[in-house]
Amino acid sequence: MSILSPGCVLAPVDFSDESMAAVAEARAMVDDPAKLHVIHVLAVMNVAEPGIIWETIDDASRIEHATKALREKFADATIDVKIGDPAHEIADYAEKIDAELIVLPSHGRNALTRFLIGSTAERVVRLAHCPVLVLKPRK
Amino acid sequence: MIAMVPSRVSQLLIPVVMAAIFSSFASTAYAQGDEAPEKTEAKTAAAETAESDTEEPSGIRDFEKWVDGKFGRHVVGPLWTALTFDFGTGVPFVVGWLMAGAIFFTLRMGLINFRGFYHALRVTKGDYDDPNDTGEVTHFQALASALSATVGLGNIAGVAIAVGMGGPGAIFWMICAGFFGMTSKFVECTLAQMYRRVSPDGTVSGGPMRYLYDGLAEKNNEMLRILGLFLAGLFSILCIGGSLGGGCAFQVVQSMGVLKQQIPLFEEYGIIYGVIMAVAVGLVIIGGIRRIAATAEKIVPTMCAVYVVTAIIILITRADRIGWAIGEILEGAFTGKGITGGVLGVMVLGIKRAAFSNEAGTGSAAIAHSAAKTEHPVREGIVAMLGPFIDTVVICTMTGLVIVITQAYDTELFPAHKALIDADEGAKLTSAAFASVYPWFPIVLAVAVTLFAYSTMISWSYYGERCVTHLLGQRFSFPYKILFLGFVILGSVVSATNILVFSDIMILSMALPNILGALLLSGKVRAALNTYWASYKAGEFKTYNK
Repeated sequence: MSILSPGCVLAPVDFSDESMAAVAEARAMVDDPAKLHVIHVLAVMNVAEPGIIWETIDDASRIEHATKALREKFADATIDVKIGDPAHEIADYAEKIDAELIVLPSHGRNALTRFLIGSTAERVVRLAHCPVLVLKPRK
Repeated sequence: MIAMVPSRVSQLLIPVVMAAIFSSFASTAYAQGDEAPEKTEAKTAAAETAESDTEEPSGIRDFEKWVDGKFGRHVVGPLWTALTFDFGTGVPFVVGWLMAGAIFFTLRMGLINFRGFYHALRVTKGDYDDPNDTGEVTHFQALASALSATVGLGNIAGVAIAVGMGGPGAIFWMICAGFFGMTSKFVECTLAQMYRRVSPDGTVSGGPMRYLYDGLAEKNNEMLRILGLFLAGLFSILCIGGSLGGGCAFQVVQSMGVLKQQIPLFEEYGIIYGVIMAVAVGLVIIGGIRRIAATAEKIVPTMCAVYVVTAIIILITRADRIGWAIGEILEGAFTGKGITGGVLGVMVLGIKRAAFSNEAGTGSAAIAHSAAKTEHPVREGIVAMLGPFIDTVVICTMTGLVIVITQAYDTELFPAHKALIDADEGAKLTSAAFASVYPWFPIVLAVAVTLFAYSTMISWSYYGERCVTHLLGQRFSFPYKILFLGFVILGSVVSATNILVFSDIMILSMALPNILGALLLSGKVRAALNTYWASYKAGEFKTYNK
């Protein structure tokens, strides 16, 4: 199986325009939409967040909301929501589903973080056990 | 997964690097501060204690002294000099800035702090709570969360420091600052709601770091956009500092003062208290034990009530002196007798301690208030006004009245209290005032103080973490928490004066970027308030009777 026509592709999204575009690229690579896995990684909540203190939100409700948001955007893809550090979760998930390719944009949401500690994409390249396609913005 | 290991190690190294950057920044400031040594207030004689600076520490006591000396010389002294520069007016810049901002907002918003008060009570009561509104928590819950960060040792120790140094008149100025501060709080919390971000997982995040940038970027002016970026970044850095100072070390050092009188072991080795507190805070912020965090925060309104009732009992036992006390407060406010700096000195002290306690103008509470469920930003702003009212006009006034009525501030009557005032041991002074009525009252105070300190630290670690992740991303959350625990221990080692000055610098200077941004955005708030108020007066809002 060539990476240009892979079996199972993982496209992580952070709901930025760039990541949405990356999903579209990934979609074009697979023959069956179910082979496209779209995941969103949520941050671990601070215990002093008002919603956690007053028990109006929890991890289950957050996953439910995020899953719904993903489902609205990507009706036929396989979707999942994780909680933790994005790069680690993406790499672990790719390993779990035996993904043959991870497709993601070079630029995510936070510009300053990228400048200081590198992008999530860079860390995914380092951590992943499969090929990673990093999409650069078109000039 | 192998990569996990070095990643964790690097996370542990980050706090060390952050601390190093922080201290080098402070040293640079010191070099600048050197040029105007005459401006350094006598209080920051912190540097004097640094004589033992070069000596190698031996034993816990020497270590504590050594850390204190370093902290005073390289961190506190230089920053203080820069921030309190008064341009020859006698009013430190940051204090004038806070007060000018609060008065401007109060006029610009048409005295909303008075005319919106009844509405604020009804909204907080839940009369307007629509369960389908966007957000995380009800108005009451958001206010309670904000109060858990706000009500702390600032209300107990800070007031005592103000009265001890500035006499009874300081209370008058604290109350004034509380009233005007209500509108600063209104503006910042309304803005936090306007520019909050709702994530796909249903959570919301907002606060000055968002509205300073998004609000100014919206104005379609490149210069303003860059200014917004700068202000948001500056706010985040200062808020992180504030969380480590006033939100952490100050709470530890002052609560320790009260506990030392009950538990002699802490008198001998303060660091033991620091370690116990660090473990207790660590269980929540690193261990993630939600139940403890929730209990600690939810108990705050009850503890406020217990504290106020205790204070009222003291006032009742000395009811005959209430008239005299009010007279002293008013006379002191306008004569400033016997106080260095006269009326202006008293006023500055009162305003500074009020702002430190209620955080109006500093923008911190806006982070918590942005979580409230509502489609009307103005509504949450109106609720937020109750914060400075409860914090300063009610609780601080209670502490102040107790200290005046028991005359604990009078060093001629109680010569032993002079040392407490000179060392900024405010909580100890309040404890002495409580003890003079019923000997067991300090035990009630010790319990209240420990709980206030604990809940304040947990809430402030949340504010700090929000700013850290905004600035540096999620990965820096863990290193920040380690740094925070380091400051818990630091609070038990460094002297009360150094901690107070450091905390003042960090928390008060948050007002520099926050008020500037809020001033530039105040037109939008005013317009939103007008629209909201018109609808409210026309009875267009649905109420939910509970």
